Amino acid sequence: MASALPSGDMGAAEANSGNGGQMQKKPFTFNEIVLRNRLTALVVDGDNFCRLLEQGILQAYGLETQSVNNGDAAVELIASGAKFDLILIDMLLPILDGVEATRRIRAMGMRCKMLGVTACSGERERQAFLAAGVDVFVEKPLGPEILIPVLRELDGQV
Amino acid sequence: MEVVQIQRRLVDYTKSLFMEGFLDGQFLQLQQLQDESNPDFVVEVVSLFFDDSEKLLNELTIALDQPNVDFKKVDGHVHQLKGSSSSIGAQRVKNVCIAFRNFCEVQNIEGCLTCLQQVKQEYYLVKNKLETLFRLEQQIVASGGSIPMIEMGF
Repeated sequence: MASALPSGDMGAAEANSGNGGQMQKKPFTFNEIVLRNRLTALVVDGDNFCRLLEQGILQAYGLETQSVNNGDAAVELIASGAKFDLILIDMLLPILDGVEATRRIRAMGMRCKMLGVTACSGERERQAFLAAGVDVFVEKPLGPEILIPVLRELDGQV
Repeated sequence: MEVVQIQRRLVDYTKSLFMEGFLDGQFLQLQQLQDESNPDFVVEVVSLFFDDSEKLLNELTIALDQPNVDFKKVDGHVHQLKGSSSSIGAQRVKNVCIAFRNFCEVQNIEGCLTCLQQVKQEYYLVKNKLETLFRLEQQIVASGGSIPMIEMGF
């Protein structure tokens, strides 16, 4: 079911509780989920830093990743036959924006899980991205509370 | 200074950055990505964030100095800075970007200029804080110690 999920500022909100930084929740680790299957992901982001970071996060979870820095390259990659279990795609991209790229990727019959990971936060943007075909609209940053359930689902652990 | 003292200082300093809102939980996730196979990951991505951000701040300064300001261009740069600052956990920078984008939307030049000043201030503050944090980590490693885990969670 397509949905919009909040960004992950929980650490800061709790850190400002004035209790000296001692938290109730256990520390997060990338061992929260151990993948049983080989999963592949494509990261589409025009910003070098975000692309590197999102790839790093997915690799830490055990996924094999590729990345491109614009929507046109993403569409070409899919058109060439590349298959992915998961695509993370930003909304504002050079050459071809994320909304149109998503539309074209879906039009090619690609049914993989797509997360629209963007700094955009408006309802209009959310609706446009969902209508284009992303399964989940995620306001940056992409946190484990969003990614772990997705990966569990993709890995058949749900 | 003994390594235990430096480790204690690092823990206290890191916690203060969270308490004062300079960093949020996203930064912790970043630190978790660092391991023996990728020991310099955090420093590398943070350095990339610094390079990208300083370019964006220069672009913003130039764009807002034009006789006819292209607010769409300004908004694009701020949007990018919002994305990268939120991804690294630089919460205060991100929050100024949110206000900045609102001023871009209504084409309020004074508001944009004020936000530019604020975002530069917040950026250089967090840059300074992170550089201090990395210096402490380097001191620990150079003294033969290990970087302590901070007791925080998502």
